[in-house]
Amino acid sequence: MALINIFRYGILIASAIGLAACAQTPQPEPAPPPIPTVGEVDLDTAESDPQDYLLLDIGVEVFEIEISEQEALEFGEWIFTEIRESEAHYLPYILRNTLLASNQWGAARVLPTHDPSMDLTIQGTVLSSDGQRLTMWVEALDSTGRVWLQKDYSDESLTDDYPVSTRYTPGSPFDASKFTEPFQDIYDQINNDLVQVRQTLSIEDLIDIKRVSQLVYASDLSPESFAHNLDKDENGRMSILTLPAEDDPQMRRVEEMRLRHHLFIDTVDQYYESLYEEMQAPYVVWRKYSYDQIEEETNSADNAYDFSNYGRSRGFLTLTQRYDRYRWSKIFEMEYRDLSVGFNNEIAPAILQLNEQVHGLSGTMEEQYIQWRRILRQLFALEAEIPN
Amino acid sequence: MTHIARQKKLYPAGCRLLSFCALSLAINLPSIAQTTDDDLPVLDLDSPIRMNFSGNWEKDFARSDNWEDELTRRMQIRQENAALQASGVGLGNGPSISLGNINLNRPRRRQANLVNLARLAEYINRNSTMEIFQDRNEIRIERRGEAPLVCGMETGPNETFSGQHGAEICGWDRNQLVFEMALPDGLYIIHRFSVTSDSQMLRMITSISSNGSVPFNLVQSYNKYQAPPDEYNCIQTITRGRVCSQRTPLN
Repeated sequence: MALINIFRYGILIASAIGLAACAQTPQPEPAPPPIPTVGEVDLDTAESDPQDYLLLDIGVEVFEIEISEQEALEFGEWIFTEIRESEAHYLPYILRNTLLASNQWGAARVLPTHDPSMDLTIQGTVLSSDGQRLTMWVEALDSTGRVWLQKDYSDESLTDDYPVSTRYTPGSPFDASKFTEPFQDIYDQINNDLVQVRQTLSIEDLIDIKRVSQLVYASDLSPESFAHNLDKDENGRMSILTLPAEDDPQMRRVEEMRLRHHLFIDTVDQYYESLYEEMQAPYVVWRKYSYDQIEEETNSADNAYDFSNYGRSRGFLTLTQRYDRYRWSKIFEMEYRDLSVGFNNEIAPAILQLNEQVHGLSGTMEEQYIQWRRILRQLFALEAEIPN
Repeated sequence: MTHIARQKKLYPAGCRLLSFCALSLAINLPSIAQTTDDDLPVLDLDSPIRMNFSGNWEKDFARSDNWEDELTRRMQIRQENAALQASGVGLGNGPSISLGNINLNRPRRRQANLVNLARLAEYINRNSTMEIFQDRNEIRIERRGEAPLVCGMETGPNETFSGQHGAEICGWDRNQLVFEMALPDGLYIIHRFSVTSDSQMLRMITSISSNGSVPFNLVQSYNKYQAPPDEYNCIQTITRGRVCSQRTPLN
């Protein structure tokens, strides 16, 4: 009883201060200034095939998500957290596609976790995401530990980004080839920033990155054989102390292992591609709903009651109108929540499939990946024991 | 609750021996015990156990308030109070009421009058059926044409909706489920649900007040009824809408 009294007083106070008094928009707490949007960006593409030393292999790790305190407190937040977790697998694939489309890089793959064989690794954290705005923090490090990027990116969508075709029906199914990602500018900007950083590096620097990644991978397989080839300074930067001989048999085995490893991560990348393809249509539709919902909220805020002008009637008609407005706004919100659950329902099999696709291994994609690396290490140790 | 404790609870009489065997297995063969553990549903004992509201409910008009009768009753009380006041009997700090029913129902400044509150209560409770879904995490009350009332199982209060047109919180007051809505200009609605221990009768009290006025309460009683079994299993999807498949006897 005491509790209900507490929240009764709470709501009474809230009513007295805010809604009850005049239903004006509550004064928002001072928020940090929004991260500026990237604006319109053209992808920096290479007209001809770049030199080999420019073709760095890029690993885009599955993104992290950040749930704000406000989001965590909202009722039903678990529905949206699930969507954000699915996004963490989906958005890196758009970045991977953008990097490949630019023709500026070597292989680009989505990876479940950090991979020591990559020349350049991109990590991202989705700070906020809805149909109207996407904000993420991106960090890119090369194999030597050099920081290429540490930056926030943000972009806003427009009504035109969700053409009528995104509200498709069974009669007019979703056509991925005609759809442009609403936040494509972010990914284009990331690619362009990376190209810009690469331009500041010398040929030796770029060759060094490739050599270090080769030795880092070798050291990951067999630290006792290769760790001495590398040095790490107090800032975490790696440099080569000695290079193994070109015909070093152990190094040759490492290269064979690396090849097998790349075959494995190519397969992993294909699983992310399948997830991306499965998820794209429902995700686009969900974003469209999210965009509509935010638009509706904004319009509603713009057209909020002005009780100084609006009749302060307390007649039955006014009361029912007031109740109906509340009722419909809640129905709209609940429908959006149900659609979000629908999104999770629809992509659940694809997520499950992603985690089940590697036969003979078990656990999530991340766990399977770790198991795979352990197997390779054991295999390498076994092969090393066999005389040539 | 451990695996063994759960077994005791499920089979209190005859299966102690089985529990003992399971304990031995758990000690001697941890891998097997692990597999068995994983097969059992894990109960979240942090979630409080609530009364069972789930089912289909229809209004029992005989036992429910009629809004006009309730309004008349409230008016009579007021008239009696006015008469007592006129005869000099103290009524404490209640609102002053003029004689001869003059201005009897005139609301205080910015308050809606009792008649309008009563009519609104009737409007809100116009549905004669409702369906309630309840699991260990959530309760969802659905009435045709109304936004569902959804609440978690924690005592609360939890804010379940907030927008330009009003805000809603919910919570549990012992065995009662309470939803409180604050609408613009001081309109305040409370729904209080309670159910009998055999889960066959449900009571919903709606209280409506305006700017701190004395609330108008409308008590509605519901009886559980057996709705015809749903022939379809439906799931909400985003690209295909609601996808249904016909139920088979197995599911």
